[in-house]
Amino acid sequence: MMLREIYNYRELLKTSVKKDVRGRYKGSVLGVLWSFINPLLQVLVYAIVFPYLMKGAADHYVVYLVTGIIPWTFFQTVVSQSTICIKSNASVIKKVYFPRIVLPLSICISGLINFFISCVIVVAFCLIFGVGISWHLVFVPLIAVIEGMSAFALGTFFSAVDAYIQDMEHIVNFILTMAMYGAPIIYELTIFPTHSKIASIVDINPMTKIMNSYRDAFMYHRIPDMAALGGVFLLSLVMCIFAVAIFNRMQKGFAEQF
Amino acid sequence: MNADNAIEVRNLTKEFKVSRDGAKTLKEFLVRRHTRSEKHVVLSDISLDIRKGETVGLIGVNGSGKSTLLKLMTKIIYPTKGTVETNGRVTSLLELGAGFHPDFTGRENIYFNASIFGMTKKQIDGRLDDIIAFSELGPAIDDPIRTYSSGMYMRLAFSVAINVDADILLIDEILAVGDAHFQKKCFDKLEELKRSGTTIVIVSHALDQVKSLCTRCVWIYRGQLRLDGDPTYVIEAYKKQSAIDHKEERKAAIANGTADYKGVVFIDAPRSLTVVNKGESLPLIGWKIADSDEYDFTITANGEKVSGIKEVPRPDVIDIYKDEYAGYIEGTKPGFEAFYIPEAEGELDIRAFITIDGRDIAEKSVTVTVE
Repeated sequence: MMLREIYNYRELLKTSVKKDVRGRYKGSVLGVLWSFINPLLQVLVYAIVFPYLMKGAADHYVVYLVTGIIPWTFFQTVVSQSTICIKSNASVIKKVYFPRIVLPLSICISGLINFFISCVIVVAFCLIFGVGISWHLVFVPLIAVIEGMSAFALGTFFSAVDAYIQDMEHIVNFILTMAMYGAPIIYELTIFPTHSKIASIVDINPMTKIMNSYRDAFMYHRIPDMAALGGVFLLSLVMCIFAVAIFNRMQKGFAEQF
Repeated sequence: MNADNAIEVRNLTKEFKVSRDGAKTLKEFLVRRHTRSEKHVVLSDISLDIRKGETVGLIGVNGSGKSTLLKLMTKIIYPTKGTVETNGRVTSLLELGAGFHPDFTGRENIYFNASIFGMTKKQIDGRLDDIIAFSELGPAIDDPIRTYSSGMYMRLAFSVAINVDADILLIDEILAVGDAHFQKKCFDKLEELKRSGTTIVIVSHALDQVKSLCTRCVWIYRGQLRLDGDPTYVIEAYKKQSAIDHKEERKAAIANGTADYKGVVFIDAPRSLTVVNKGESLPLIGWKIADSDEYDFTITANGEKVSGIKEVPRPDVIDIYKDEYAGYIEGTKPGFEAFYIPEAEGELDIRAFITIDGRDIAEKSVTVTVE
């Protein structure tokens, strides 16, 4: 079965992750720092601009931003890089047999590793801005894995589609840009009038649940809503099963598309 | 599937859709009128068994479908009809250096490349020394491969490819690159693999190597299995057919004006700018070849046609041009011999030329002085 094949090719998974994590910045002066600079710049821009736009920004707005933007960047990069991974590896796919699922899987795993490294920055912000940290940090890996699963599911699905319909990558990037506003990443849910339509829509968004959980763990030092997390986990699991099934169907034609 | 077989192919057909401007964007998919797509049949109803431990050479001209057959055996692409079954770990070497990353060292890239072939870390560790030794790269193995010359890159990629663990090894023409020393090393290694019982299928245009390495040769001609058997026999038949096809293609190209006949004329004697005597019989000796079964050959002396031209055997010429003029030169007498008696003193212009369809396609002239 497929899991057996992935196990057989585990060295390939390992080397792919190694190439993604270390290879991306080998030879550049700032090295791995580049994976943080982008989200940090975003934090900077929003932290400066939004308090003026929003009048009455959240307490500890900068920490609020960081605990939202960095997890979102993790999700966004995994989905957007996975979408193009089949196309970018066209030459290898045409010439060698290996279980193709390794490609989006390695992107998710390397994204997870990059995220854990950036969590150091989040913790640093918590400490610097006086929010402090607590044992609740222990929940972060759990939330990250669930978030990673949903990113993997979407990334895998889109990668298969992008092999056939090549503007998928533009559509995905556009949706991701818009989607950032669909969850309380840079704003608080309270900016919407309570019991309004839009508040409930945003609230239902699984990404909202995930963001809330991260904030509970990093900022508010509370145990995250386990029921909500459980729901998101189940949803992600179902998405993964679907995405992998579709991917397997579509992968037979990959080599002929390029 | 028969337990003695490594690969079983049954009624395999592979078609490719060749569509002009295939729908690649969403817009085109949604607005799709029936884009004219032609079906190109690359392989047609192929059936064959390859037993464990056999070494099979797969030959055919470019475009005959051999590489496609290899890809179907590896499950990189899937059949349109029919089945391919394999028994054992299949490793295909269709390209060198798959998975290489320029910023990592040769040593690290060995792991990248070998892992794409499905090897585990333990297996790679076991082979690492052999691979590094085979590559003859020395200490450069720990430099990033972006600093390598193209020769070093090839050697590294070769060494990994040839040292890969496999029950069934499918190789597509990658052994055609590399210098003679390295090619010899590779073929020695293949002999070693052969002896250890690995099933090998190799696509190659190096027919001599196919003859010496393979116990069986399969010829794919225009997508169909044409001959399957002893390499010497199959290769001869393949060469004959290729010569015939080549002739047909040339004829067609000449007929529609995209190509023209070619030929060579050479005059051994007399040498240009020598002196000859008036009234003495002057031998005109040389040779002529052309890529046509029929042509007109004429020698003129100061514009006057020379008669009595005899055809003479010239095995040396046939030997030199036997490949280039295959199909036209075998069994002919390319040499010519004629005699001319110069009557007048002064410059004598001797011109020998080949004419086909009213066009002079090759010529040679010498000028001598008559005293």
